[in-house]
Amino acid sequence: MAQSDHSDLHSRHYPVDEDMALQRRVWRFERVGWYTLVLLIGLTLAGLFSRGPLSNAERHSADGQLRVEYQRFMRNGASDALIIHLQGKPGEPIEVAINGQLLQGFNVEMLQPQPLKASTAGEGVRLWLLSDTDGRAALHVTLRSDGVGRFATRVTSASGASVQLSQFIYP
Amino acid sequence: MDSVLRAAAIYLVLMVLFKIAGRRSLAELTTFDLVLLMVIGEATQQALLGDDFSLTNALLVIATLITIDIGLSLLKQRSRWFSRVLDGGPTIVVEQGQLLHERLKRARLDEGDILEAARSAQGIVEISQIKFAILERNGKLSVIPYE
Repeated sequence: MAQSDHSDLHSRHYPVDEDMALQRRVWRFERVGWYTLVLLIGLTLAGLFSRGPLSNAERHSADGQLRVEYQRFMRNGASDALIIHLQGKPGEPIEVAINGQLLQGFNVEMLQPQPLKASTAGEGVRLWLLSDTDGRAALHVTLRSDGVGRFATRVTSASGASVQLSQFIYP
Repeated sequence: MDSVLRAAAIYLVLMVLFKIAGRRSLAELTTFDLVLLMVIGEATQQALLGDDFSLTNALLVIATLITIDIGLSLLKQRSRWFSRVLDGGPTIVVEQGQLLHERLKRARLDEGDILEAARSAQGIVEISQIKFAILERNGKLSVIPYE
């Protein structure tokens, strides 16, 4: 530093005993801390801590029959939506299975619309939804994050289309 | 278990944040600072208690906070170095009627702050009448006039 030898920054011993080396480290800490806080707020706005461009995610299956909108980052105790879009035959029930760690990391608070029926499927659930006249169905799942860490989930439709998603829950 | 972890995490985070804010930030409490403190308290409350509003949880959280506080003060008593790092030391900002500009800049102070402290404590209106002004560890400015 150019100003490191400025006489203002030398330690005085009267009327109080100073430790300017330490004090300058404290000031440097304050300065670095300030930049860190600004960076943190920037990242929050960008969505690193849920809800933002970095967090909003969408996955398609290879054949386009299945599409899932979800949040990459979530926070323990907060609730967020997961939307599953399915394409099937008009007026027929569409089958979809949710497997993996979803049920361990989250509480499913609400399913909308209500599935026609539901069953367990291994560690996950299997749901049947009624499609509309175009053969489309969308399932809105409200999830409340319960765990902490990374949770991998697989959504599979009866046609074999499958989407793998990974979500991280902050404490 | 998580009551203790929550309280310890909040204690640590708040300590680091207030160290970043510096000793001056809440030394002279303005009306707005008071409101800010209350809002910070509100934001902290949820994280401290989670969704457990039981008497036991409240007791455990408070006990943890006080334990950490006592523990740190014992450590400060044992180690001078630790005490210096946590609490810092006093810094002289006016010496023999002269402002130490480099120090003021880094401490985010200006002449107005020093004159304000000089007026309210000693009835002094000019920097040249000040022998020493010292920024204390708690963020207050002590002003020592010429005899």
